[in-house]
Amino acid sequence: MPLTVDEKSLKHGVLSLVLTLTEVIQEALERQALRRINGGDLTLEESERLADALLELDEALEQIKEDHGITTSVADLHRGLDEVVDDVVDKLINPQRWAEEAGQ
Amino acid sequence: MTADQGPLRPTRDPRVTLDDLVEVLLNKGAVLHLDLIVAVADIPLIGVNIRAALAGMETMLEFGMMRNWDEATRAWAERSARRRGIDLREGESAVCRMSGGHLLTGGVYTGWRPGTVHLTDRRLVVQRDEPREILWQAELGDVRAVRLEPERTVGGEERLRLRVALADGTEELLSAQEPEKLHARLTEACAGRLDAAFPFTPAVEEERLLEGHLWFHEPRRGGPLWRGGQGRLIGSALVWKSPVDSRPALVVRTADITAVEWSAERSPTGDGGVFTLRTADGGEVRLAAGDPETWMRKLDVSRPSLPHPLPLKTG
Repeated sequence: MPLTVDEKSLKHGVLSLVLTLTEVIQEALERQALRRINGGDLTLEESERLADALLELDEALEQIKEDHGITTSVADLHRGLDEVVDDVVDKLINPQRWAEEAGQ
Repeated sequence: MTADQGPLRPTRDPRVTLDDLVEVLLNKGAVLHLDLIVAVADIPLIGVNIRAALAGMETMLEFGMMRNWDEATRAWAERSARRRGIDLREGESAVCRMSGGHLLTGGVYTGWRPGTVHLTDRRLVVQRDEPREILWQAELGDVRAVRLEPERTVGGEERLRLRVALADGTEELLSAQEPEKLHARLTEACAGRLDAAFPFTPAVEEERLLEGHLWFHEPRRGGPLWRGGQGRLIGSALVWKSPVDSRPALVVRTADITAVEWSAERSPTGDGGVFTLRTADGGEVRLAAGDPETWMRKLDVSRPSLPHPLPLKTG
């Protein structure tokens, strides 16, 4: 499944790609932060500092996306990546797909 | 709901996203053991032995790994963490804070540096928390004027920026999450000290006669180069700015324009030709546009000082 990076404006395309990957990392950090906070190891003050820092990161990313007008292209690319992953995982956990593909 | 429908069944969205995949990977953790021998002619020459583990910190701790390191890191942060917000001076009190940024200019690099804008009763500070650095700050006593200014971002959206003029004659541009609120609070905090009028009259407030995409044949050391950008014709001047530049590369006062000539040369617009502005000091500005006629007509109209319209050479 091909991912479409807008080749008409390479700068936008590359920036969208970078921001999409940053978003994936940000999402991973946020989910791990939630786990750590729920884990009960952190003090209240630490949790707050963590939440503030993540919020600041989120706002900075949103601002960059809006400034460069790539909010939609990042969302599209993110969805595209998700579809690729979904496809791969689907093939990995359903061996009958291999047979289907081989039969084609 | 109709009666012929069966009982409700639980469903599950089977779709997996990349975020889910990364989460599962980090939550479960991954361990990689790699033994590798590089051999030439069946004689082992280089040995590689890699043991790697990748997991979310919570998982790491569950398995008893990196516990000391985790505690040491947090203890160190704890010691140096009496530093949320900015370091206030004695007797100084914070007024408000919001995320924002400062436009760094003057050096090799021009660009927005994001952080948090802090307003105290004495200073205006833009600070980044991680890694900690004061990006810009000014004493409120040095602030001469503040103004909200619309700016067109690269993406083509209008954003309000806060322009701050300082006593030493410099100007800075700040962005803020709520520019109006920052402007109001800043005006309040500087009560009575601000000059009524912004010292520099903005060109933006003049009526725009024409605005659109315009090519500018920019003279450069390595020879002139066609660059695309936004042209804006206002009553007193023609301004051209490239989206990658921070300020206009070309400002021609309409009063200085002595002639507008068209010639059928090759230009980035194809067969649109090139129109040349001649200025009173003998200068020459070469431009191209999708509809050169409109630009030339408007340029002509915008020169009221001329006794008679200049003959337009066409073809």
